[in-house]
Amino acid sequence: MGFISDTLASIGLNEFVITLMFVNAILAMSIYLTLYGGMFSLANAGFMAIGSYVSVILTQNHDWPFLPAILAGMVAAGLIAIPIGLPVLRLRDIYLAIATIGFVEITRIMILNFDKIIAEAYTRLHMESEPPKITNGPLGITGIPVETKLEYLVVTVIILSYFMIRMHRSRFGRALAAIRQDENVAASQGINVVYYKNAAFILGAMMAGLGGGFSGHLSRIIQPGSYGFGTAVDILAYSVLGGISSWYGPILGGLALTALPEVLRPLKEYTGLINGVVLLIFIAYLPGGLGDPALWRSVRRNMSRMVHLINKGKTADAGA
Amino acid sequence: MRSKNLLFVFVLIATLALPLGAMAQDDGERPLIGAWDTCADPMSLSGEVKIGVAFAQSEAAAIYGVPQQQAVELAIAEINESGYLGEATLVAVTEDAGSTPETAISAFTNLVAEDVSAIIGPTLSNQAMAADPVAFGTERQESGDPLIPVVGVSNTRTGMETDFAASYGDGGAYFRRVSLPESKVIPGTVEQVVDILGIETVGIMYSDNDQFTASAYEVFVSALEEIGVEIVATETFATGDVDFTAQLTNIIAAEPDAIIVSALAAEIVPLLEQARSQLGYTGPIIGGNGFNTPGIASEDRGAGTDANGVVVGGAWNVARQNEISTAFTAKYEEEYGTPADQFAVQAYTGTWVVATAIRCADSADPTAVLEALASTADFETPLGTFSFDEEGLPEHEPVAQIIKDGQYLLLTEESAAEVFGE
Amino acid sequence: MQASNPVLKLKSVAITVLVMLGIALLAYELPDILDKKVLSPEQHLTTVIWVGSVYSLFALGYALVFSILGVLNLSHSAVFMWGGYIGVMSVIRYDIPIYYTLPLAMLGGGIIGVLVDLIAFAPLRRRNAPRISQLISSLGASAVLVNLAQLEFGTSPERFPRTTLKELPYEATVARPYTIDWLGAEFRITPLQVSIVVIAFALMFLLQYLVARTKTGKAMRVVAFNQKVAGLLSISVGGIFRLTFFLAGALAGAAGVLYALAYPSLTPFTGDEMALKGLTVIVLGGLGSIRGAVLGGLLVAAFEVYATAIGYSWLKDALPFVALFLILLFRPQGLLGEATVKRA
Repeated sequence: MGFISDTLASIGLNEFVITLMFVNAILAMSIYLTLYGGMFSLANAGFMAIGSYVSVILTQNHDWPFLPAILAGMVAAGLIAIPIGLPVLRLRDIYLAIATIGFVEITRIMILNFDKIIAEAYTRLHMESEPPKITNGPLGITGIPVETKLEYLVVTVIILSYFMIRMHRSRFGRALAAIRQDENVAASQGINVVYYKNAAFILGAMMAGLGGGFSGHLSRIIQPGSYGFGTAVDILAYSVLGGISSWYGPILGGLALTALPEVLRPLKEYTGLINGVVLLIFIAYLPGGLGDPALWRSVRRNMSRMVHLINKGKTADAGA
Repeated sequence: MRSKNLLFVFVLIATLALPLGAMAQDDGERPLIGAWDTCADPMSLSGEVKIGVAFAQSEAAAIYGVPQQQAVELAIAEINESGYLGEATLVAVTEDAGSTPETAISAFTNLVAEDVSAIIGPTLSNQAMAADPVAFGTERQESGDPLIPVVGVSNTRTGMETDFAASYGDGGAYFRRVSLPESKVIPGTVEQVVDILGIETVGIMYSDNDQFTASAYEVFVSALEEIGVEIVATETFATGDVDFTAQLTNIIAAEPDAIIVSALAAEIVPLLEQARSQLGYTGPIIGGNGFNTPGIASEDRGAGTDANGVVVGGAWNVARQNEISTAFTAKYEEEYGTPADQFAVQAYTGTWVVATAIRCADSADPTAVLEALASTADFETPLGTFSFDEEGLPEHEPVAQIIKDGQYLLLTEESAAEVFGE
Repeated sequence: MQASNPVLKLKSVAITVLVMLGIALLAYELPDILDKKVLSPEQHLTTVIWVGSVYSLFALGYALVFSILGVLNLSHSAVFMWGGYIGVMSVIRYDIPIYYTLPLAMLGGGIIGVLVDLIAFAPLRRRNAPRISQLISSLGASAVLVNLAQLEFGTSPERFPRTTLKELPYEATVARPYTIDWLGAEFRITPLQVSIVVIAFALMFLLQYLVARTKTGKAMRVVAFNQKVAGLLSISVGGIFRLTFFLAGALAGAAGVLYALAYPSLTPFTGDEMALKGLTVIVLGGLGSIRGAVLGGLLVAAFEVYATAIGYSWLKDALPFVALFLILLFRPQGLLGEATVKRA
């Protein structure tokens, strides 16, 4: 283990970066569910914020243990997803994308001004006591102990992967696939489109909330600014670059896209540029993503062909 | 035989003396800064002494991080050329801290693995809250590895020392900064301005999604409450906004004696033009530390005459130069082609403060360096005479100045009268 | 594209007029409705028109590419930022007279637009990649453009030097406002602002004319409708795509220069701030509709300015999205969008 972690650290992947890679893998998986159902939702950065803030407030202000707190953050994200999903999921494509980005931005601004809103409510209701400071505005919550461990994340990713594999074969997964193909046809086959879309949306929100809880207990500080438009688009990029035609694609994407700038660190000021160029090359040559089953099939085929050739060479040698 | 021996001795002495002479010449070019006399030349230091340097070299905060990095490199070159650390050379292990807490943590994680004696950085206060504990926080303490002092050169958030002490106990004392927290700059500026300009009411506007400007806003409000100035209007904007006419229209209509603005450098020039040229406001504008950028008053590339009547409090400014800062700014401009700003000056100061701690400790051991660092007192720097006070906060005289026709003047009754034509 | 059905056309005109009236009325009625003192409604209305026209011009590039190719080009904001830099830097570095910066930036923006198509979109189109991959690809192009700008120009804010602004015809008055007293309404406006609004609207009308009335515009609409049909009509689909990207880039370049003229603070991240606003604008107005983009721009500006005017400046960035939610609930295709199109 020591050897592996040293090798990884030498290419820029220290323990913190590896932990962050897995957090982002969970976030990438969270958006996969909605994309699998053909929904172009970018709301997950908002649910991540909710999971993050709820869990951190519980551990910091109410002394909850870590595990119940992040589960509570996950549930909170799921609960908020219900009233959001019902109206918004009627929208399609880019309209849905922008409306969900709107949700992300509104969530961010609400968290940013949460203390201000509470204070306003206190004065309106003529309450005597001093209004509490909960989210602490742009300064964020600081001094959060680092509770997120790599082991937890790996276990979470394995559990979620199991869930994803099962999902593909289940009634739920087939319904989502049918909805992605054509909503109207799916509806005419007796699939309850509204139910399945919302279920996928809520489950995705819960996964994002979980990822948010982990990320909140990783970098000692949380601030509203970390959960905006940029994060929403990043999560989408993880899953698209990883590939959305397989469940493991988003995991690969989350891991790879987080690792890339860290590996490129020695390039100093050129890091960002080369990062962008690599991204462009990847998407141009692997439009199906890193986890494209077709890609892996061809890799396997080439590998077996190579093994075959080598074996053939050996037998030829032996024959000689 | 005898003459041969003599010749041999002579040659021997000459060979030995040559490098000595060269060394003496080096000492002759002593920089003005440095505890040359207070601490003896270090005897036990040798080889390389590594310090970590982590500033924002990419994304939005690079605007501050790039001059910081340049100033640190300049200081390290001076330190090594002058033999400040005796036999040892100071080596910077550099990492890009990016502009987010996560990138800063990653940079710090890489730096502590390099066994550095101290770390300088990161650029932003929220990055410091996230990344500094990598060097001295709970995990480091539990691992048994030595805690490493972290010196902030641009972290101005109020109460970082107490926050770190609360979270990490004694480890918190490993955080030091040479940048004055807002609570040490703003109240003094406000008091002086209110006194000189006779201000009774103010309107405030600030960027409410930025930690730096929001924290400065809070300090402004408490400072104003303290001296009984009434706030007649409060408006917010977001970092990156460029149109402030709606907010300014509201504030100007409330007719305050002065407008207080807490904004980042990129927002200031449009804000000044809109207040002055577009909406015709002529009163004083009091700025937070973000206004402390030489470019804003520039006639051609800044706000020009629209910056007249802007009052800024800051840790350093071209208005108040001492010998050391004049030498530094000249050298910096020659080297990099741009005038030095306060971020460069503070980073330069921070590097010298760290090098001085290493020299005085005569050791590269992080704890010894911290002890020497904590006892830094009356150190002459480009920022003035620098000390850490009993609570570990930096101490040097902040400066309030007023802008007139591209010049920063010290704020006095006379300069104020000159600007506002009383 | 534009509604050709006369009933639809009437409807869109009605919506436009209603929204415009709403914006103007709000300026005066908000104080009474909310029982809040709004200071200087005319000044706020001036700001709406002025900020709104910059938003609209910026958002048009998004709308144009989306209406022809059906994809969002997320690098549009980076082309916009480059447009601004081309303008400012040609003055600072090469002493080029300020008049030439607008056509120069339009040309430069157009070329960058075509390059973005060649690098980020064309390879994916050839592979028949999903539209969502093209979106991410354009994001990569945007990162490259922003990083290039950062390497080339640094991160300190840049502006058109004040002396060069004085080359403009109104000389010293360029930044100085006229106080306009009209029917008792008093507000201040600078000649620079007026000319920016005029140029922005002129460009928008030109584009509308090009798409709706010319032969090229007709070819563009055919491509947007069906690429196979366009091929059969021997329209060069690739050529139309490149033209679209050129036009969108030129609009971004023009918007960039006007923005840099208006706001003396250009950084490599300027585009990022506008990206989200632009997206909101085109979705509010209706994707792919030119008039919708204009209307959307004014609306977003109105929400931001009026939120501030009534004392809720902290809500100003949230309000456009709240409005977006509400409008999409009743008109899922945006204000002036067509209902039937399905695109990813």
